[in-house]
Amino acid sequence: MPNNDDYNVKRIQQMLLEMARGNFFFSLEPSAKNDNVASLIVMLNMVNEEIRASFVHQGFAQSGDTPQYLVQLSLLLDADGTIEMANQKTCSLLSRLPKDLIGKPITELLSKSSRKLWAKQWRRLLKKEQSDAVVPLELTTGDGLIVRKEFNLTTFRTLQGSTKKILMDTVLFSKGEPFGKGLWKHALKVSKGTESPKVRLSQKDIRMIRDVHDMIINNLDRDLPRLRELALQMGTNEFKLKYGFKQLYGTTIFKFLTQERLRKAKTLTMHTSLSLKTIAHMTGFKSIPHFSRAFKEKYGQPPSSLRK
Amino acid sequence: MNKSHENSYALYLLTDELIHIIYKRDHLIDLEAAQIIVRDRMMVQEGLTMPVLCDIREVRMVTKPARDYLAVEGSLLVKALAFFIDPPVTDVISSFYLGTHLLSFPTASFTDKDEAISFLRESIESPDP
Repeated sequence: MPNNDDYNVKRIQQMLLEMARGNFFFSLEPSAKNDNVASLIVMLNMVNEEIRASFVHQGFAQSGDTPQYLVQLSLLLDADGTIEMANQKTCSLLSRLPKDLIGKPITELLSKSSRKLWAKQWRRLLKKEQSDAVVPLELTTGDGLIVRKEFNLTTFRTLQGSTKKILMDTVLFSKGEPFGKGLWKHALKVSKGTESPKVRLSQKDIRMIRDVHDMIINNLDRDLPRLRELALQMGTNEFKLKYGFKQLYGTTIFKFLTQERLRKAKTLTMHTSLSLKTIAHMTGFKSIPHFSRAFKEKYGQPPSSLRK
Repeated sequence: MNKSHENSYALYLLTDELIHIIYKRDHLIDLEAAQIIVRDRMMVQEGLTMPVLCDIREVRMVTKPARDYLAVEGSLLVKALAFFIDPPVTDVISSFYLGTHLLSFPTASFTDKDEAISFLRESIESPDP
């Protein structure tokens, strides 16, 4: 694949155009070089990932008013990895005509690093009678962009019985088109706990809530003040703090605190030989029983079981 | 207590005062790589909190899940962090990472290794905030 500046600038333009259209699922193959164009590509990829993440998250947290649009990619492959079917969305997303896809080996679509992974996974999958696996793969588009995503690979035996096939599919989010009425609006609603009152948040409120988020992350070993005092300290009221946080981060302040404490505690338990007491103390749990209980609730087993 | 360790993504050198991590060439740092990198660092440190010198000059890409993991789980047992970079690519990567993730210890990027080491020394000498 050409890797000169002209070609790279064209790909950058194409990527920006897709972002402007609300399509954040593309990325650019990073260059092995260390020059200004390469740094621009790296930056663009990271900015794009951040936008994509905040967009999907907000979509779920505030499913009532964020337009979301799902794009499903499906490919059907035979046992040799030849594409037998590609749905229309796949063709348009990859900027390729059906005739450029059907009958071609899937490896032609994959990026270099994905080809290696594919070669490994594909044989393993076909060995089993029926299997499901999630594999991160990179597909290249006709414009030289990359779609990186976890794909579900399902292998199955055809009704005739003698041959096996592979269904490869994934779903992407786009802001391109609003939902139709009905189905998706409901499908994306988190089923419970979302019925909290909606608060109207100003830019200043959002900044304040982000500060609270950062404060929690930086003081995991300390106890949080009562919400009312915390709100006072931040110059707001308890109601706004409580429901604003939930709206922005999709969880309550105390659940978030425990979740972040447990993330750290789990890593320390798994990869160090520090005593559980020290770990509990480092991550803000008052006692070992308290720590063990919270840990078990989240991960299904007590921290001591990770040590054996 | 000089000690070293190597995995497919990085080389770790432990000295009396800091841990030096040199990322290898041509690796995309994804979540799985980040988990291994952090796991091995913690293993080498044996539970001690220390300053970290991170030579990322050969890194060309770190995915978002990996960046988020490095910022939370990966910030454990770190007293201070200095990135050793080679502009422009790794300069962009380190500035972006430090600009989008909040870390609770002193951090900075350097194109000169000695400067990075003196930054780490200063941050250990200054009392805890």
